[in-house]
Amino acid sequence: MFDAQRTNSRTAVLPAWLRTLVIGRKPKRTLLRIGVLVAATLLVRQFVLLPVRVYGPSMLPTYQQDGLNFINRLPYYFHEPRRGDVVAIRTSDTTIMYMKRIVGLPGETVAFHDGRLFINGQMLSEPYVKYPCNWDYDPVTLGSNQFFVVGDNRSMPQIYHEFGRTDRNRIVGRIFLWKNLFATSPSPR
Amino acid sequence: MEKSFRYVAVAALIGLGIWGWRVLFPSPERVIRSRLNALAKAVSFGPNEGVLAKAYNTQKLTGFFTPDVEIDVDLRGYPPQTLSGRDEVLNAALYAHSNLNGLKVQFSGINVALGADRITAKVNLTGRAILPGSEHEFNVLEFNFLLRKVDGQWLIYQVQTVKTLSLSRPALELA
Repeated sequence: MFDAQRTNSRTAVLPAWLRTLVIGRKPKRTLLRIGVLVAATLLVRQFVLLPVRVYGPSMLPTYQQDGLNFINRLPYYFHEPRRGDVVAIRTSDTTIMYMKRIVGLPGETVAFHDGRLFINGQMLSEPYVKYPCNWDYDPVTLGSNQFFVVGDNRSMPQIYHEFGRTDRNRIVGRIFLWKNLFATSPSPR
Repeated sequence: MEKSFRYVAVAALIGLGIWGWRVLFPSPERVIRSRLNALAKAVSFGPNEGVLAKAYNTQKLTGFFTPDVEIDVDLRGYPPQTLSGRDEVLNAALYAHSNLNGLKVQFSGINVALGADRITAKVNLTGRAILPGSEHEFNVLEFNFLLRKVDGQWLIYQVQTVKTLSLSRPALELA
């Protein structure tokens, strides 16, 4: 009798309240909830909001050169990218992407003269460009499925700044937050 | 309870069987991917590399390419470079080993398209080059690789830089 009691007390490893806290009153339902949560997270990540780490100064001063942000895929299911949108452009996949602003739309002619952007021969007002720029770039006409993208940091030497034409199918989505989260570099504003 | 256990055991056995099949008989795409990852590892080197290690590691690189390989690298801010033949690739590798205090190369987004003949393949991938001490500043380039199966081994015979954001010319497409 004494041994059976000792055996029985050893099998109750977790107190009942702790077991309820960890796995719930109904473990099957808890497991189902976990499954639904994981599936929902994966779906959101795949089709709605993609978290990204930001590196590089090309979007200063609008965005700091590091930190966390999200790519919102939803808008471009309903309409095409618009001028002024800050977008993510994929390379061979979405592991590494460029973060740039759309300044030229399909069919338009884009040029830089003395640091100013011209669309179809008309100068475009760019209030987000805060640093001086001296870029010169011959006119280029975009194809029917091409957009012209460039960073906001025009004080970078032109040869080191990645910018130019990109195909529509490379645009993954629009940057979600207006400011990077957890950025360690100081905000330039 | 015993029935559920049996179902789980059968599912586990099937899963194990599929995994074993894939390990023992990998698809060409899988072989090419692991070959390219091995290339990225072979190109990478640490700081304070010894002379013998330098010679061995650079020599190892030539085993990934055909003798007539052609590599076009177009990094923004630098003039385009073309390396023709294994010897030039070897010289470029030796130059990098001698002038850099380490280099880490990673390939990601490896998309393999096998040719209809199943002995050629086109790969689109993104390469990232990181110098030691500057993990947050890295060069990124997108490439197209053309590979050919020679004596059972996948070898690279052409590499072209893909301009993700093209300027005066469209993104390079291989015929």
